[in-house]
Amino acid sequence: MLVWSRSGKAMVWSFAALVIGVVFLAPLAVILAASFARQWNGVLPSGFTLEHYAEAGGGASGAAVFASLTTGVVASLVALISGAWAALALRAQGGGAARMLGVLFFVPSAVPSVSVGLGLLVAFSQKPLLLNGTTAIVVIAHFVLISAFSFGNVSAGLARVSPDFEEVASCLGATPAYRLRRVTLPLVAPYLFAAFGLSFALSMGELGATVMVYPPGWVTLPVAIFGLTDRGDIFSGAALTIILVGVTLLLLLGIERTSAIWAQARNG
Amino acid sequence: MSDAAASPRGVKVDLGALWVAPPLIALAVLFLYPLALIAHAAVYDATDVVNLPAAWATLGSRAFVNALFNTAEIALAATAGSLALGLTLALIIAFVPFPGATFVARLIDTFIALPTFLATLAFTFLYGSAGVLNGALVQAFHLSDAPVHFLYSAWGVILAEVTVYSPFVLRPLLAAFSQVDRGQIEAASLLGARPWRIVRQIILPAALPAAIAGGSLCLLLTVNEFGIVLFIGAKGVITLPLLIYDKAIQESDYQAACVIAMVNVALSLGLFGLYRVAARRLGA
Amino acid sequence: MTLAAFVDEAATVSGAAELRGAASTVAFDRVSVAYRGAVVLKPLTLEVAAGEILAMIGPSGSGKTTALRAVAGFVRPAGGRIRIGGADVTDLPPYARGLAMVVQNYALFPHMRVFDNVAFGLHARHAPKALIEERVAHALEVVGMSQYARRLPRELSGGQQQRVAIARALAVRPKVLLLDEPLSALDAQIRRSMVEEIARLHAELPDLTILYVTHDQSEALTLADRIAILRDGALSAVGRTGDLYRRPPNRFSAEFLGRANLLPVVVESAADGSGLVAVRAGEERLVVAGADEPAGAARLLCVRPQNLTLAPDAAHANRIAGVLREIHWQGELTHLVAEVGGALLRVVATRLPTIPARGERLEMFFSPADASLIAEDADV
Ligand SMILES: Nc1ncnc2c1ncn2[C@@H]1O[C@H](COP(=O)(O)OP(=O)(O)OP(=O)(O)O)[C@@H](O)[C@H]1O
Ligand SMILES: [Mg+2]
Repeated sequence: MLVWSRSGKAMVWSFAALVIGVVFLAPLAVILAASFARQWNGVLPSGFTLEHYAEAGGGASGAAVFASLTTGVVASLVALISGAWAALALRAQGGGAARMLGVLFFVPSAVPSVSVGLGLLVAFSQKPLLLNGTTAIVVIAHFVLISAFSFGNVSAGLARVSPDFEEVASCLGATPAYRLRRVTLPLVAPYLFAAFGLSFALSMGELGATVMVYPPGWVTLPVAIFGLTDRGDIFSGAALTIILVGVTLLLLLGIERTSAIWAQARNG
Repeated sequence: MSDAAASPRGVKVDLGALWVAPPLIALAVLFLYPLALIAHAAVYDATDVVNLPAAWATLGSRAFVNALFNTAEIALAATAGSLALGLTLALIIAFVPFPGATFVARLIDTFIALPTFLATLAFTFLYGSAGVLNGALVQAFHLSDAPVHFLYSAWGVILAEVTVYSPFVLRPLLAAFSQVDRGQIEAASLLGARPWRIVRQIILPAALPAAIAGGSLCLLLTVNEFGIVLFIGAKGVITLPLLIYDKAIQESDYQAACVIAMVNVALSLGLFGLYRVAARRLGA
Repeated sequence: MTLAAFVDEAATVSGAAELRGAASTVAFDRVSVAYRGAVVLKPLTLEVAAGEILAMIGPSGSGKTTALRAVAGFVRPAGGRIRIGGADVTDLPPYARGLAMVVQNYALFPHMRVFDNVAFGLHARHAPKALIEERVAHALEVVGMSQYARRLPRELSGGQQQRVAIARALAVRPKVLLLDEPLSALDAQIRRSMVEEIARLHAELPDLTILYVTHDQSEALTLADRIAILRDGALSAVGRTGDLYRRPPNRFSAEFLGRANLLPVVVESAADGSGLVAVRAGEERLVVAGADEPAGAARLLCVRPQNLTLAPDAAHANRIAGVLREIHWQGELTHLVAEVGGALLRVVATRLPTIPARGERLEMFFSPADASLIAEDADV
């Protein structure tokens, strides 16, 4: 509606297609192509192979997929519970103090991930909590970094739930626990799913804090990819990146589907 | 009875406030306590003795000053680039919509969920010395050497960050544009206003809050960006997060790492404060 | 409520009567509410009788919702006690008060079908399944929504949602039903029919005590047994609907509850025990109902527009003359505005023998029983 002429539109659209193609599609495309390539020395890759994926299927890369998935799911679940808990508690409390605490729960999202990792490394390499070199410290790092996003998502969802629903429920005889289970949580369910999805995606791609704290036996996908590319094995790195992207998108899609199916089942 | 009694939970307020304790304790132990220890370790050296001269030396070192300068330069340039790209795409998707525009918007949106270093890795294939662009140029002009080298400079980082962070600007801008009154734009074009004039006088003012909020978020994320810089691995392009990593992991100089981390955290929290104020003021 | 109570009540007669709870009074005993130091409800003492509809009306921000929420337990009074059926509930949480509530936007749970919405309160109180089925069916029947049990709230019209909200409230057999502007989200036509419907419902459930908050005076006049008028967080007037309308105790209630003509007058002779007082308005001498009015006191004479007629007859003993300033014909009714000694009087006439012209002299008549005297400063 800004540009009316045919030629004007064609120009704007070709420009948009070019920009989107170069900036967003080309990167995904080359990584996908490279993951199947034997060699890439000229304009186009040469030689099709599944070798990189075969390598990724077992051994170190397989372990990385497992480590990333486990870390992502555990950290996201814990972040979801803690974030939802905090958001619900602050909403019930209300007032200025609750608002200030709300900001505090957002702060981890602002601190650089490397510093979060450094802090954990310093704090948990000494008594009373010795966690250095454990898997737990990786999960903790991920939890800290994604907790703010879970909290934010659930808070945003709760803000959209009119207090009327909860008040009517209590008036009709629902105890706070019953009301939470039957009214509040179902109403914010879409936000809980979204919070989990976002947390999981962030955890899957987390590098800065992980690289500071990971123990040798718990190499996540991004760290493994960095290891490969740092050694110059960029094709295997590309294959592992595609696996990372694929797993993330599959899980996000799965969560979206679950959310929709669940919403339907609830009404069915 | 005091006024506090008017709160919904009444007398039980004091007990109700305890509900927030478990997540708050988790936050304190896992986030605030480590942060405090960074501050502590910044002034104590490896032998646990106060060593302010060492801290000062770190702050005065060439590596730190360069990293600070690089970080600021890269963050500002990448934010400006993300704003420009995000704004352009948002304008086209919202006001010159093409078939599949919403799909494209969603596709770009998924970039938010992808790891940032993906952009660097892709750039290696696209613009690296043995990449597509250089390969094409070498072939076309029969050169003996790869002519394009920007990837291993600050420009490589900036362009990669623009790719990764422009979706963070695009998303709020599209939301803001969906609120712009279409009738107003149509009326203006009927009155003969040219597109750029409509953009400047009607659309941009409406999008300003979203642009400022998205831009300041971008600034925060680019200051904190680690993966892109690490993956490019260019000697000359060291930012604060990368320097912290180098000091702690490569050199095991924890005091220096903590000093730099304090500066980086302070910078980020300052930007975070700005972002909150901007987002609240402008209601975005 | 215990399980036994459910089983007990389930054995009563069928039909709407089955939805009745035990009738309860609601008493505000010097209840005051403050939000962060700002007093929004000044000590309020008011009793709602068992089985009565008490409408609480007042301008926006006058504290109606606050008073209702205090009964429900969502705001804790800064002072005073609230009693339901004689029992002090001030310290009880909302869910233990045995109430039900319908709010302005209905707040039907969007993720539950109509049946589950109506069953919510019974589920929450762990009622047995068979009883729930029966109660929900009855509640839906009473509001005429039986066919819609499987629908989701978003698949219903505003009026239908409103009925479901009422059914949900009735299904728990509340001692007291709290309604906060339940009709204000509906358009005028549906609102009128819903008012009639609530009136019918109350006729079928005579034991249900209803506290009805509205700022629509016509809803209050139609439905309420008694009306309480709030102003700036304080009770301005309370009384039986008819009495309050005919003899408002102060200027504010006179003007808030319907339209009122308020004519400054001076009492001519003190009340003589006949129930009639003579007053003087400019040149005219008028006789109105009243007692204990001291001679020489300044008063406002209150007479409703529809109680002024343009034709003299035996019942309308008082006569005032004025000059016609405005005349508006509105189909069924004609509105006239006349000037009497500087004050403007409104007349609503159903039928006019001749249509008077602007500027013409107009004689208006009213019966002493239709007028009352209000002290000039009663509402300050
Ligand atoms: N949660 C609150 N915090 C602070 N002040 C409040 C709160 N709720 C209500 N108030 C104030 O209390 C006063 C009374 O509000 P209330 O909602 O009872 O009015 P109302 O008579 O129901 O008005 P309306 O007809 O507009 O619904 C108002 O001045 C309002 O601003
Ligand atoms: Mg109200």
